[in-house]
Amino acid sequence: MTNFNETQPIFVQIRHRIAAMILSETAREGEALPSVRSIAADLSVNPLTVTRAYDALVDLGVVESRRGMGMFVATGGRDKLLIHERETFMAEEWPRIRTQIKALGLDLATLLKEDRK
Amino acid sequence: MTNPIVSVRGLKKQFGRTEILHGIDFDIPAGRIYGLIGHNGAGKTTTLNAMLGLTSYEGSVQVLGEDPYKHRARLMKDVAFISDVASLPRFLKVRELFQMLSDIHPNFSGDKALKFLEGTEVKLGALIGNLSKGMLAQLHLAVVLAIDAKLLVLDEPTLGLDITYRKRFYRRILEDYMTAERTLLITTHQVDEIEFMLSDIMFIRDGELLLHMPMEAVPARFTQLIAQPDKADAARALKPVFAETRFGQTVFVFDGADHAALEALGTVTTPTLSDLFVALMSRDTGVK
Repeated sequence: MTNFNETQPIFVQIRHRIAAMILSETAREGEALPSVRSIAADLSVNPLTVTRAYDALVDLGVVESRRGMGMFVATGGRDKLLIHERETFMAEEWPRIRTQIKALGLDLATLLKEDRK
Repeated sequence: MTNPIVSVRGLKKQFGRTEILHGIDFDIPAGRIYGLIGHNGAGKTTTLNAMLGLTSYEGSVQVLGEDPYKHRARLMKDVAFISDVASLPRFLKVRELFQMLSDIHPNFSGDKALKFLEGTEVKLGALIGNLSKGMLAQLHLAVVLAIDAKLLVLDEPTLGLDITYRKRFYRRILEDYMTAERTLLITTHQVDEIEFMLSDIMFIRDGELLLHMPMEAVPARFTQLIAQPDKADAARALKPVFAETRFGQTVFVFDGADHAALEALGTVTTPTLSDLFVALMSRDTGVK
C-alpha cells in the first residue's frame, strides 16, 4: 500500500522516501537508485511526479542523473543531504516540537531522563 | 511546443432530438495521463467514441492530426483502446488471435503480446470464450500493450475486476506503456485508485466540461475545511461550493478561497479527487 498522507504533496513524500534511502545508506554514494518507472509503478503515481521528486534532489546535488542510465547517489551527496535535512528540521520541525513540549508541560531534563531509560 | 495529441473544438452530439454533448473544447498534450470523470450518462463514452471515430459528431476533433471519423483506419495504427463493452472473438484460441492481429495490424507485435502474458494464467491454447473475466482483462491488456500506440484510451478498463487485478493492471500500464511520448486517457468510477497516476483531470457533467486542470494546480484552487463546530457559520459565509455534515463535523469545499482565512476556522487540506468530484457534481443542489 502506498500510505500517502493528505497534508503534503505526493512529490514531497516521494522525495522524503528517496532521501531516507540515502540517509540510511540503503543506497550508498555512487550506487543506483530505483528508476522513475519502477517507483511510479510501485506506488501507482504519475511518472512526472516521481521525476519532480528526483529533480528536487538533483538540484541539491544529492542525486545525479546519468543520461540513459538513471538516477545515482552523487559523490558527497549524503553529506549534502544531511546538512540540508538538519537545516530543514531546525527551521520547520523543531519550533513546532518545542511548542508542543511546552504545551504538554514537559522540559528538556525530563525528556532526556526518559531517553536514558 | 509540439502539437497536442488530441484537439477538440465545439464538440456536440445529438441522439435524435436530445443533445448530449453541448460543445466541448479541450487539448491533450503528449506524455500526460488524463482522467475523464463524470456520472453515468454525462457524455464520457460519447466523447471517447468521437475521438476514436466510432460516432459522428458536430464540431472539430483532431487526433494525432487526423479526423477520426474520416480516417479511422489510419488512426488505429497509433491509437489503442479498451472499453468495458469491447469484446475479443470468443471462437478463437489465444494463439490464433495473436496471429490474426499480426496479420491485420501493422503496429502489433505478437512477441510482445506473448511476453505480457508470461506470469498470467492465460494459456496460448485456451479458447477465448472459456477465459474468466479476470483472464480476459489480462489478455485484452496484453493485446493493447503489444500495439505500439501513441494514444491509449481506457474506458472503464477495470470494471468488474477485483482489487488485485486492478492494481496489476495499472502497474503494467505504468511499467510497460507510459513514456514521455505516449498519452493515456482513462475513464473510471474508481477514481481513488488512479488519483495519483493522473497528471490532468477533466470533469464532465450533463454534456459540458465542468473542470479541466492539471492535478498539481488543484491544491492552489480547491481547499477542504473541516470546521470547528462553532466556526461552521463563519465558514458558510465564505461561500463554499460544497458542505456536508459527517459525524457532527462539517466538511466544506472551497473554490479559490483564501487559505489563511480558512486556517483560522479548522483543519485545512486539499480535497481528494473523489471528494472534489462529489463536491462539484452536486453543486447547485448541495449547499444551501
